[in-house]
Amino acid sequence: MNQLLLVAPVLLPIAGGILMLMIPEKEARVHPIFTELIVLASSAMIWAVLFTGREQGNGAVLFSMAGNLKVFFRMDGMGAVFSGLVSVLWPLATLYAFEYMEGDRRGREFFAFYTMTYGVTLGIALSGNLVTLYLFYELLTLVTFPLVLHDRTKEAIRASRKYLYYSIGGAAFAFIGLVFVLIYGSTADFTLGGVLNKGVPGFDTNVILFMYVLAFFGFGVKAALFPVHSWLPSVSVAPTPVTALLHAVAVVKSGAFAILRLTYFSYGADFLKGTWAHYVVLGAVLVTIVYGSTMAVKEVHFKRRLAYSTISNLSYVLLGAVMMSAAGMAAALSHLVFHAFMKICSFFCAGAVMHQAGRNYVYELDGIGKKMPVTLACFTIAGLSLTGIPLFAGFISKWNIAQAAVGLGGIPGFLAAGVLLYSALMTGIYMMTVVVRAYFPKEGYDETALDGVKEPGWRMLTPIVIFAAVILFFGLYSRPLFHFLQQTAGGSGI
Amino acid sequence: MSGDWILLILVIWPMIGAFLSYGTGRRRKTGRNLFADGVVIAEFALLCGLFACGLLSGSGGVSGMELHVLDFKWEGFCGLGLTLRLDGFRVLYGLVAAFMWMMTTVFSREYFGHYRNRNRYYLFLLLTLGATMGVFLSADLYTTFIFFEIMSFTSYVWVAHDEKEAAMRAAGTYLGVAVVGGMVMLMGLFMLYHTAGTLQMDELLEACRKVRPEKSGVLYLSGALMLFGFGAKAGMFPLHIWLPKAHPVAPAPASALLSGILTKSGIFGILVVSCNIFLHDPAWGMAVLLLGMVTMLGGAALAVFSVDLKRTLACSSMSQIGFILVGIGMQGLLGEENALAVRGTLLHMVNHSLFKLVLFMAAGVVYMNLHKLNLNEIRGFGRKKPLLKFCFLMGALGIGGIPLWSGYVSKTLLHESIVEYTALTLQAKAGMAVMGSPAFFKTVEWLFLLAGGMTAAYMLKLFIAVFVEKHPEKQDEFDWEYKKYWNTESRLAVTIPALLLPVMGTLPGIVMNKIAELGQPFMRGENPLHAVHYFSLENLKGGMVSVGIGLVLYFGVIRTCLMRKGRNGIREYVDRWPAFLDLEERVYRPVLLQFFPWLFGGICGFLDKYVISGIQGAFLGISGAVCQFLDTYVVETAVKVFMAATAFGSRVLDHMTDGIIVLARRTTHRQVKGHRKKVMRDRFAYAMGHFLDGCAALLNKTVRKKHPIRKSYVPNLIELEEETVRTNRIINGSLSFALMLVCIGLILVLLYLLWQR
Repeated sequence: MNQLLLVAPVLLPIAGGILMLMIPEKEARVHPIFTELIVLASSAMIWAVLFTGREQGNGAVLFSMAGNLKVFFRMDGMGAVFSGLVSVLWPLATLYAFEYMEGDRRGREFFAFYTMTYGVTLGIALSGNLVTLYLFYELLTLVTFPLVLHDRTKEAIRASRKYLYYSIGGAAFAFIGLVFVLIYGSTADFTLGGVLNKGVPGFDTNVILFMYVLAFFGFGVKAALFPVHSWLPSVSVAPTPVTALLHAVAVVKSGAFAILRLTYFSYGADFLKGTWAHYVVLGAVLVTIVYGSTMAVKEVHFKRRLAYSTISNLSYVLLGAVMMSAAGMAAALSHLVFHAFMKICSFFCAGAVMHQAGRNYVYELDGIGKKMPVTLACFTIAGLSLTGIPLFAGFISKWNIAQAAVGLGGIPGFLAAGVLLYSALMTGIYMMTVVVRAYFPKEGYDETALDGVKEPGWRMLTPIVIFAAVILFFGLYSRPLFHFLQQTAGGSGI
Repeated sequence: MSGDWILLILVIWPMIGAFLSYGTGRRRKTGRNLFADGVVIAEFALLCGLFACGLLSGSGGVSGMELHVLDFKWEGFCGLGLTLRLDGFRVLYGLVAAFMWMMTTVFSREYFGHYRNRNRYYLFLLLTLGATMGVFLSADLYTTFIFFEIMSFTSYVWVAHDEKEAAMRAAGTYLGVAVVGGMVMLMGLFMLYHTAGTLQMDELLEACRKVRPEKSGVLYLSGALMLFGFGAKAGMFPLHIWLPKAHPVAPAPASALLSGILTKSGIFGILVVSCNIFLHDPAWGMAVLLLGMVTMLGGAALAVFSVDLKRTLACSSMSQIGFILVGIGMQGLLGEENALAVRGTLLHMVNHSLFKLVLFMAAGVVYMNLHKLNLNEIRGFGRKKPLLKFCFLMGALGIGGIPLWSGYVSKTLLHESIVEYTALTLQAKAGMAVMGSPAFFKTVEWLFLLAGGMTAAYMLKLFIAVFVEKHPEKQDEFDWEYKKYWNTESRLAVTIPALLLPVMGTLPGIVMNKIAELGQPFMRGENPLHAVHYFSLENLKGGMVSVGIGLVLYFGVIRTCLMRKGRNGIREYVDRWPAFLDLEERVYRPVLLQFFPWLFGGICGFLDKYVISGIQGAFLGISGAVCQFLDTYVVETAVKVFMAATAFGSRVLDHMTDGIIVLARRTTHRQVKGHRKKVMRDRFAYAMGHFLDGCAALLNKTVRKKHPIRKSYVPNLIELEEETVRTNRIINGSLSFALMLVCIGLILVLLYLLWQR
């Protein structure tokens, strides 16, 4: 039973998505209901596993390829965190998408791939070994590609092509890393502390480290790491539910998740700590943070600004990850969770503004806070949280990351803390300018221009308000969650 | 959650009240005003009650000023947990804060009579009260930080209240300083937490002593970062930039609170750092002292030059904060025997809060009536308004350090502490840890007196401008049209704190000493060895020197250099402060908004544009060229050859089959020539068609009269029959060909088999 419960949530949305393509295009009212049912069913199964005994399940083998290569699902601590997160976000985001996509010509296709992506993301979350992870990682690119392409405009086509090149290219690098783990590891299953076996003949530390760096950058493509980030701002042309969920949460988080798996569960933090590879990836992460937050300040397109903010925040997660310590991993996981809520909330608010008022640029937002008070209030909460103001969730995770950074000690540690500080400042600037503009418009702005603009309907508003409430809740009381994360990271033996 | 709930209520109550008042205000304005008053009065009453209870149950009895300490702890709140505490200092500053909030809230009602967005103002006014209470009640630096940040953000709305260009710019500065300060402070907290392992204020001293010699460097760095963060709020140089900008544009009640109490929350933080982590540390004391000196003199100079009523007061705040910082610095330098400095610091904090409450509200009265703040435009407004004149005078005399007013007491104590240390440096023998030479401290002393003199000078300037001089044109209007310049509520709100000042000043032994005893344990201060005689000749001399300097400055500098004859022959105040001496416009804004994005954006952009794109371009170019080459030469040729070969092969095979068929037609299947039998075709179709047409005609006559069927079925059926016949013929022909081919194949197979055999 338990085995089925692990496999079903992955396969159900994929099958459902394919089925959906068979429902006639005309039955536009059926698509959302069908989608929501499937998504809820999968989420329910995930929650069932989460609450009823994650520990007894030894995992479910879907099928075996040759020998060691099997597609294998298991829910350990990290998988629980990620799958739990995704299973909460997806139904709400789907609800939001109903209103946003109303009247769209290609609604069926959209919802079909949207549902499939859910299954694939869960597959990443639940994968029990690197092979499975890699398989679903590749699949993720393929199922999200049509979503980026959705509008079929010239821009969308260019963006989706770029997305495809980057992702497939990155996966190729990741594949090299995977092969080396298979050869030099004692097992391919994820084991906290790493699986490398130094007894294997031909084990050369430097080569392995090089392979780690390659794989890091390979998976880093999805996590928008600096030299390979530029697909992310481009794909903000996609519809908002896609950008919000996929490019702020599912896709990019899958990248970060894969890196965490790679670092802590395959290569092992002990093996990497203090090596040249450690400093290379740390440097890349720091550069990304500075880059992302700076470019966000310079960007005036609302959604692209948020995309840059994602770049920098994703690297916060990676910064936690490359601390190569239990504290770092716990901090990374906490930011992975909190950032998902903050970013999806702010993206949805941006989407609501675009949908209701048709404003795409930051300088067009003057006075919008008076017309859409609830949306902008939630955006303010998300913005303050991203900046790292106490009482909001972002502060907790940033505190943990910085704590881990200082714990690393030495110049890299302080440098990391300094970069965090700089980035927090820039975050304050790029988020607060939006808030201030919305609530305190410049003198002499045209009040009549916003006539008729009103709050979105309940299907868009509910997710936004829920996410804002979650941010506040975790900001005020995050102890049980953080305790769980520490337990998850605790066994890494550092 | 454990401990005394009442402390949490002290913090939460104004915040709940804020939202309730917002809800009320959506319906009734007056109800909201009364409700807000009620909230702050209840807060004040609650604190008074706690104070009384604490005194009664404390060990020292009512006179001993020793409070029963209350503690509250909420594990896991915001991560590290929330701890609150109520001891002597905290109850004192809680009371001061609640008192100030009470007075300003009452005053706000008239002041905001014609403002927009009042509901928002009240919401954030009360929210900030809760946050400020949280700061002053906090028992660990983490809690302090949390409430500090909330306070910064909620008070931002005050500054931006007007929504005018200047207000927005000032508010932007305020927010910027707050955010930068907050982040830097957070950084300091990280390092402190990492080094000392705790952020609890009462554990910090021990924890830091333990790690002291090895990790001094980290501690100093984290201390400096925290000093930066708290100093930003306190208005310490070089982060004072928001003070002179934010105050003139903020509403007067808000300015009173910003200057009177929010700056003190910064000082509170600095005190926590100085009196726990760096207790009795001369090096730290020296650093704070120097910063304090700069702040004190800089603020005073700005104030002397300013020609705007509220700007002058704002700069004066900065200067007074400098005095307090000097006191904190002296605490560190004096070490164990710092009783005078401790008391001076504490009393000057309290005094300054009250001065600024009175002065800003008095300035608010002027602004509320005239909507102007420039000294040239408001001069003479205060003539024939005795009560306002009295209140302002009380504040001015107090802050100017005139004997018998409270400011004199605290300034004397601070002055005495400098004198004491000068004496120490004089007696310094080898081995004694004394920093600085006697000459240096003599200079410090004189600069201190000079700053005091400048205070007297700029207050005199304000007083004479507003209350003594006549306005060249509008004096009659001022005197007669503004008879009813304030209502009873506002009058009470300004007069009550104004009356406190001379009372405190004339009875220093009773009032001031008690206050000092209440608060000094927080700074780990002891009672002084011998009581201070505030009105001894020695001390009076210091005060008099200051006043003398002030008079000289006023008549020698302000009346000559800072005034000039206007067009109509009347002497005007002019702002001679050089514009280029603006740190914010010259340094901070460009660095933060242009230089940083330019630098990092430029570097990253460069990398992005040239390096990454270059690599990508080169890669794509090379691989493209290779592919192109392969494509055009290798692959294409191969494909061509292959295609040609295949085509040739197929053609040959084609011809073979064709050949067989052609052969067959010529020989076996030759078409028969001769007369073709004429077939009577389509007979069935004709018959069937006519029958159907007949049926249709019948129907047309009976059932389908309205929509008769007009078409004939005959042609349709003929077409159908022809089609069938044609198809049959083709099938027959093809079948026979196919059968023949199969036969040929069979024969070939047979022959092959035979041949094999």
